[in-house]
Amino acid sequence: MTNLAINGSHFMQNDLLLQATGISKRFPGVLALNNIDFEVYPGEIIGLVGENGAGKSTLMKILSGVYLFDSGTIKFKGRDFRPHSPAEAQEHGISTIYQELALIPHLTVAENIFLNREPRVPHSPGLIDFGKMNAGARELLGQLGAQVPVRQRLQTLPIAAQQMIEIAKAISRSAQLIIMDEPTSSLASHDIDLLFALIKRLKDRGISVIFIGHRMEEVLGIADRIIVMRDGERVGTLPIGEATEEQVIRLMVGRKVELYPKQPATIGTPVLEVRDLSNGKRIQDINFSVRHGEIVGIAGLIGAGRTEVARMIFGVDTKKTGQILIDGVEQKFSNPSDAVRAGIGLVPEDRKLQGLVLGMDVKENITLSILNRISGLLGWVRNNKQRETARYYWKLLDIQTPSLSQIVRNLSGGNQQKVVIAKWLSTNPKLLILDEPTRGIDIGAKAEVHAFMSQLASQGVGILMISSELPEIFGMSDRVLVMCNGRITGEFTHDQLQEPNAQEEVIAAATNYSMGVSEITNSLPQANPT
Amino acid sequence: MATTTPVSNNYPEEQIKNTPATLLRGLVSTNEFSLLMVLVVGAILVTLRNPRFLSLSNIQTLGRDIALIGLLGVGESFVILLGGIDLSVGSVYGLAGVLVAFFSVIPDESQQVHTLGIPLPLAIVVTLIICTMIGVVHGLFVSKFKMHGFLITLVTLGLARGVAVAITMGYPIVGVPDELLPIAQGSLFNVPMPFVVLVIVAVIAIVLTRFTYIGRQIYAVGGNTEAARLSGINVDRRIILCYAISSFCAAIVGIIGAARLTSGHPSAGDGSELIAIAACVLGGISLFGGQGSILGVIIGAMMMGILQNAMILLEVSAYWQQIVLGIVLLIAITFDVWRRRRQQSRT
Repeated sequence: MTNLAINGSHFMQNDLLLQATGISKRFPGVLALNNIDFEVYPGEIIGLVGENGAGKSTLMKILSGVYLFDSGTIKFKGRDFRPHSPAEAQEHGISTIYQELALIPHLTVAENIFLNREPRVPHSPGLIDFGKMNAGARELLGQLGAQVPVRQRLQTLPIAAQQMIEIAKAISRSAQLIIMDEPTSSLASHDIDLLFALIKRLKDRGISVIFIGHRMEEVLGIADRIIVMRDGERVGTLPIGEATEEQVIRLMVGRKVELYPKQPATIGTPVLEVRDLSNGKRIQDINFSVRHGEIVGIAGLIGAGRTEVARMIFGVDTKKTGQILIDGVEQKFSNPSDAVRAGIGLVPEDRKLQGLVLGMDVKENITLSILNRISGLLGWVRNNKQRETARYYWKLLDIQTPSLSQIVRNLSGGNQQKVVIAKWLSTNPKLLILDEPTRGIDIGAKAEVHAFMSQLASQGVGILMISSELPEIFGMSDRVLVMCNGRITGEFTHDQLQEPNAQEEVIAAATNYSMGVSEITNSLPQANPT
Repeated sequence: MATTTPVSNNYPEEQIKNTPATLLRGLVSTNEFSLLMVLVVGAILVTLRNPRFLSLSNIQTLGRDIALIGLLGVGESFVILLGGIDLSVGSVYGLAGVLVAFFSVIPDESQQVHTLGIPLPLAIVVTLIICTMIGVVHGLFVSKFKMHGFLITLVTLGLARGVAVAITMGYPIVGVPDELLPIAQGSLFNVPMPFVVLVIVAVIAIVLTRFTYIGRQIYAVGGNTEAARLSGINVDRRIILCYAISSFCAAIVGIIGAARLTSGHPSAGDGSELIAIAACVLGGISLFGGQGSILGVIIGAMMMGILQNAMILLEVSAYWQQIVLGIVLLIAITFDVWRRRRQQSRT
């Protein structure tokens, strides 16, 4: 234990809430965890970072009782701890909040919090004491500073509120350690602030939090201590005062990575023009264009309507009014196959649900959109052509698989995203729409995806990029559109993006607040001076 | 391609070696091969108990039974590959038999029903068209109204049978033209005609699913409908095609069935959707869609045929036969679910 002094010298060994020593876990063909030591102090927020496949999730699944470990010991509250199920881990005081929330949409907030532990009417044959339950839920949420109507059905609440309910549920089970697996990935920035304030409140109550994150500025903003993992090993521990973003990233990837390598490209005539687009509901008055060689970023909060606009352009959802022009010619798409024929590609936001056929191999996924183009007489698919095409893009994008016949389910997130991009490159698109192109992929792959976008733009492809990460928006875009509540609320040219307060202005447009810069900075979470 | 990150695949380029040894190993490791082994072992066991199993006449009977199960199964498998299900194949089978008899039988006072007596080839074509349109309607409901195939084909399960009963007023239409009979009762070099039909349909289906872009797109739709749609595949057209193929195959079986019974019987094919689905699942078609092969279905159909035949030869009581069928289906479906779970736990 070389880093005991970090969290304050008054801690003794036995003050540790959790101490794991020499944990190893082997899956068929891969050593997922190699002799890991891991410790958590009471009331400590740990930022756990590492590329995908570094072993973060495996370690957390061991702590939360999903997997058993092969060797090593874990002591929790001073006693040996070897949970065989998530229920057992929760009973001992470790709760996990997953990216996909484990709540029941048709039940009320209170019913979700007290699920399977509902207070009963005394001496009754199992009647639920709703009054007591609702009061309990109200009190719990009040302690967390969350104002959520406890009798409302869960499905009507935004994701951020649902996440608070998960946390309330964990606390009601007297959790002492809460593991949060990328809790911010589906949150908009002001909801992230609320979540961070809540995490601080948990800390004040002596509850420890393990925060797994991909966005460096968030992890640096919330954690007391950062633990970095790579290839199943712990490669570094950084106290928050000393850690810089660059340092953490270098530890994570084990080499220096250049993010956002946007190269200048010649910008030509408009490839896409959108005029007065609306869907008859929330999306109204959408007017913009994307030119050949240009990367246009769309910033905004989750639910601002960015994905809906992309889906209308691509012919997935029907538009109510408006025109879509490709190279100056008006198009009427009744389904995505029309859009593909017109030279548009869409890398959707959820690659597993929308981008890939997980059970098919790399070769078939890459050629999915061009199957009819590589077919001969009677629709007979020409195998050589298919293999050649797939191999070309496999090499071009440096997809890390032993063969083209690898089932894509078994690939890492970054390689899966490269397969989706390869699929669209093979169609030779004029316009490529990318919806959250680097969500949930590791930093090395992220830099490569950015490099390809840049490369494509320099070849004259127009790129429309939807992203919730401001650094990505600022690093990659020639021009930025900001959407809020179904409308475009701001447009920033390349020069305007270079101005010092550009970031605040983009946030202001995204939240549609007409407040000044100082108010916005005040509403951001304060750095913890521990 | 110049990028700022070093580009190098860590893996050597894929080598394809087609030596006889690797081909053989590839063949032995396929699902179809294991199924075939089960089939052979089963056949040997039955033969040991009753050598009559291998007599020419029994094998021909078996061939006819397998052909009907196989044809229904091949059609059904297209829908299951999409991730849907077609519960109507038994009823369409019955309706097709009634329709072909109703169209082709010469009107006669002794019949309960006033039949039309149009030329046989025309009667067959009209029957096939009507039944295929039923499948097209299924496909339209599934693709345009986003109704699950289970629901719309459940409606047809009742409706098509009802129409068959209504047309015949509950009585069989007897006396189908003699020209129709060879398709069920004839044989080609000792191979029963229905089996010849199965081979033709199966070869077309194998080529369609394995080698054409339409087939690959069907697998993609079954594997992930949303990803297929967003990849520019015309998902609606593929869905309609698959449901149409299913009904078309059921119609062929109905016509063969009418030739076999020399009449259009309103209750023909009752409950055979279960056998068709069993043949598919037994043959390795996943009920979750996107997995399995037509060749597997043929082997699955052979297993079902041999199972039924063996139960008769081994004098298993008719009541028990249904139970055995149910148990076989249970085992096959449990295996399918288990396989699915194992695949998903890897992500």
